[in-house]
Amino acid sequence: MKKSSARMAAVLAALMPGLAFAQAAVSPPTNVNAIMMFLVFVAMSLGITYWAAGRTKSTKDFLAAGGSISGFKNGLAITGDWASSAALMGIAALIYTTGFDGLIYSVVPFGAWPLMMLLIAERLRNLGKFTIADIVTLRLARAPVRSLIASASLAFVVGYIIVQMVGAGTLISNLFGIKYETAQLVIGVLIVLYVAFGGMLATTYVQLIKAVLLLAGATLVCGLVLQRFHWSLEGLYSAAVTNYPGGSKVMQPGGMLPDPVSAISCGVMLLLGGASMPHVLMRFFTVPDAREARKSVFYAASFIGYFYLLTFIIGYGAVAFVMKDPQFLDATGAIIGGANMAAIHLAMAMGGDLLLGFISAVAFATIVAVVAGLTIAGASAISHDLYANVFRHGQATDTEVVKVSRIAALLLGVLGVVLGMAFKGQNIAYMIVLPFTVSSTVFFPILILSMYWRNLTTTGVVTGGWLGLATAVILLVLGPTIWQEILGNPAPIFPYKYPALFSVTISFVTMIVVSLLDHSPRAQTERAAFNDQFVRSQTGLGAESAAQH
Amino acid sequence: MMQNVYRHIQADPRFHALERKRRHFTFLLLAILLANEAWYILATAFYPRFGFARLWGEPLAAGYTTTWGIVIGILQTLLYIALVGIYIYRANGEFEVLKNTIVRDALRATGGNS
Repeated sequence: MKKSSARMAAVLAALMPGLAFAQAAVSPPTNVNAIMMFLVFVAMSLGITYWAAGRTKSTKDFLAAGGSISGFKNGLAITGDWASSAALMGIAALIYTTGFDGLIYSVVPFGAWPLMMLLIAERLRNLGKFTIADIVTLRLARAPVRSLIASASLAFVVGYIIVQMVGAGTLISNLFGIKYETAQLVIGVLIVLYVAFGGMLATTYVQLIKAVLLLAGATLVCGLVLQRFHWSLEGLYSAAVTNYPGGSKVMQPGGMLPDPVSAISCGVMLLLGGASMPHVLMRFFTVPDAREARKSVFYAASFIGYFYLLTFIIGYGAVAFVMKDPQFLDATGAIIGGANMAAIHLAMAMGGDLLLGFISAVAFATIVAVVAGLTIAGASAISHDLYANVFRHGQATDTEVVKVSRIAALLLGVLGVVLGMAFKGQNIAYMIVLPFTVSSTVFFPILILSMYWRNLTTTGVVTGGWLGLATAVILLVLGPTIWQEILGNPAPIFPYKYPALFSVTISFVTMIVVSLLDHSPRAQTERAAFNDQFVRSQTGLGAESAAQH
Repeated sequence: MMQNVYRHIQADPRFHALERKRRHFTFLLLAILLANEAWYILATAFYPRFGFARLWGEPLAAGYTTTWGIVIGILQTLLYIALVGIYIYRANGEFEVLKNTIVRDALRATGGNS
């Protein structure tokens, strides 16, 4: 099917060189509606940044918004962090191409929310200060553990930022009719302004506004889709079956994941990785106590769950309204701009230019906000973990840490733009596997074992963490995506696209075995400290409180 | 100072009772969650080889295009919101009250303040 359409494209291009030329030369028209609406968002967010900058003085203000955000606001902001452009356009694209299996990216990662609520959120709030590493180093040695977690956090953040920046550049140039490079610069400048000046407070409000816009936009599109079918899901699905090349296969599993091991490994990655992402977890330090942390999870889970329910409509809506409509297809019958545009074209089909402009502006705002959230997580790894605790051994002053955080935000912004330019035109979808694999392999085991298991020792964490991280990276490189598709080797050395099942197991087993074999005096002290940590994790006594202003 | 309070709470049987109650409740909800996640992942992985997975591709009834997989996915999403809701209902209510009593008594007994 794919091969024949590619051959058809080649034949058409050979027959009509003028057509292919015309398509390549005509850049998309400048979308005035979208640009105006995006500018409104920029003006609002910069106003907020100005306001927040005046309230951001200490490290606690900068990295945790003073610990004073309410559960409801934090829940919305987390929704903003969670719902990246991948959630809006990626899931629709997957359903558009592979049918039912695209929903695995809705249902399975959503399980991370009950998991976070049950095992992570309240203990994290009771034990931590600014980063994941704070929890682990209550008992374990500061330098080696912080170095591991900060390195993994930076790998996570940078990998995630590349995906967002490259995806953004392509999408924004398509939607707004501006150049790829211009889009990169706009995002880079905005996030540096938000983060370096407004810190976590500005980032929180930017996320919050974007979450409201995203939920409103997705609701509107879904409403318009369902209205065409007199509010009947069955009507929508039968229209999708009529349009889909595989017919009723669009409603059945089995289109995307090639074998059971891949499916299980992908599920493990989405569930465990989703429950331990540093830019999401760090939001639990912005609320005053464990009660509000639980509330944030509840609000976030409600909004995100609602959003995921909408993906059951948007993806199939795209199959029903975009797949056979010539205005969205090129001469070969392929969707213009690639499958990632399915949700955007759907907005055009449902609500014309105005809705297209609104959804485009929301998509841009989404990317800017998510990159800002990632940048502040990266800045905290550099300033709080590496600078203050590893290089300065906990002796840095508050002013110095804030200064390093601002510089780190600037550097990450520049790095994002540079990498965005460097990866232009590459297929970067596979890169999202890296951050999720890292967080499931490194952060999840470390968090769970340090909070729940008395016997965990520094040697165990460091050995298991680095070994797991190395396994994840090596298996990704040797796997089908990099070894075969990118490096052009005939067959992959490691047969699966998703290494999480293997790297998570190695990480957990190594941490447990090495800790059990560790009889050093340090290990004894670390085990003895568990009782106090346990009481604190349950009661919140001794936990960081909200800043007094 | 804080260590004295921690020790005092460690010695309080009410703390261990609360911890046990919370642990059992957490494990029950966790088991429900993991069973559902496993079901979803395995059904996708083994479709259409095994019977339990085949259900996912079956239409709701003759003449329908909506499959059980869609309905199960929607119900699971709602179930996960419910799990979070049920947990917070007890944790921010009953458990929080018990915890506050234990902490208040411990602070009073050790002469500290929060």
